[in-house]
Amino acid sequence: MTIDKELLEILACPKCKGKIKLTEKKDGLACERCRLVYPVKDDIPVMLVDEAAALK
Amino acid sequence: MELESIKKIYAGYSSVYDALFKRFFYPRIKHAITYMDIKPGDRILDVGVGTGLSLSVFPRYCSVVGIDLSTEMLRKAKQKIDENRLDNIKVLSMDAMSVGFKDDSFDKVFISHVVSVVPDPYKVMQEVKRVCRKGGQVVIVNHFKSKNKLLETVEKIINPVCKKIGWRSDLCLNEFIDKSGLNVKEKYMLKKIDFWHILFATNDK
Repeated sequence: MTIDKELLEILACPKCKGKIKLTEKKDGLACERCRLVYPVKDDIPVMLVDEAAALK
Repeated sequence: MELESIKKIYAGYSSVYDALFKRFFYPRIKHAITYMDIKPGDRILDVGVGTGLSLSVFPRYCSVVGIDLSTEMLRKAKQKIDENRLDNIKVLSMDAMSVGFKDDSFDKVFISHVVSVVPDPYKVMQEVKRVCRKGGQVVIVNHFKSKNKLLETVEKIINPVCKKIGWRSDLCLNEFIDKSGLNVKEKYMLKKIDFWHILFATNDK
């Protein structure tokens, strides 16, 4: 999955509004502060707190 | 109405949404976007983009980010983006009351048929003002409680049905403007008697 660089620059964690970054496997967007990973489903980032997984 | 219920309702809508609502929603969406002051290079947020009815109206010289709670609806929008090669448009699943963007990320925000379907419309407006830059444009297309006696009666009759499908019809326009703190430059309806208002506002922050 690729996320547009410009989009990545404006994205924030919906919970803490802090910085997020692509996971190493590039399969989600991680917030280190909240220890959450927001999944990407069918190329659509799902930035919903209740659908986020715990960051390992 | 809780978010989970809204998600379920709109997942159910996704397959019939375009056919059912294009006739009612599209003319106002098209009008509002056409009259937005979109400049080359503008970054625009479309809140409640749904199946992407609005997407073909945005000029290609701006970049658009569409958000919606329903991933099922967004799949339809993504299909339209891919089919029409709308490379300037991206869609993401987000809760309009808790948006995942940095402050001042957008030049303009378009919000169509959202504020009456969310649990807290003012929380949405707080987020909209946060992510839109100061002096940016906020354009809203929505139903507000009617002052016309005939429409008021119709609204009262259909209100229980509206509630079931996730809409509230009791949002008062002036109260909404006051509470959301928007600097409204223009507000009007496309027809003399209409269910929907179009608001053009400036984000004074």
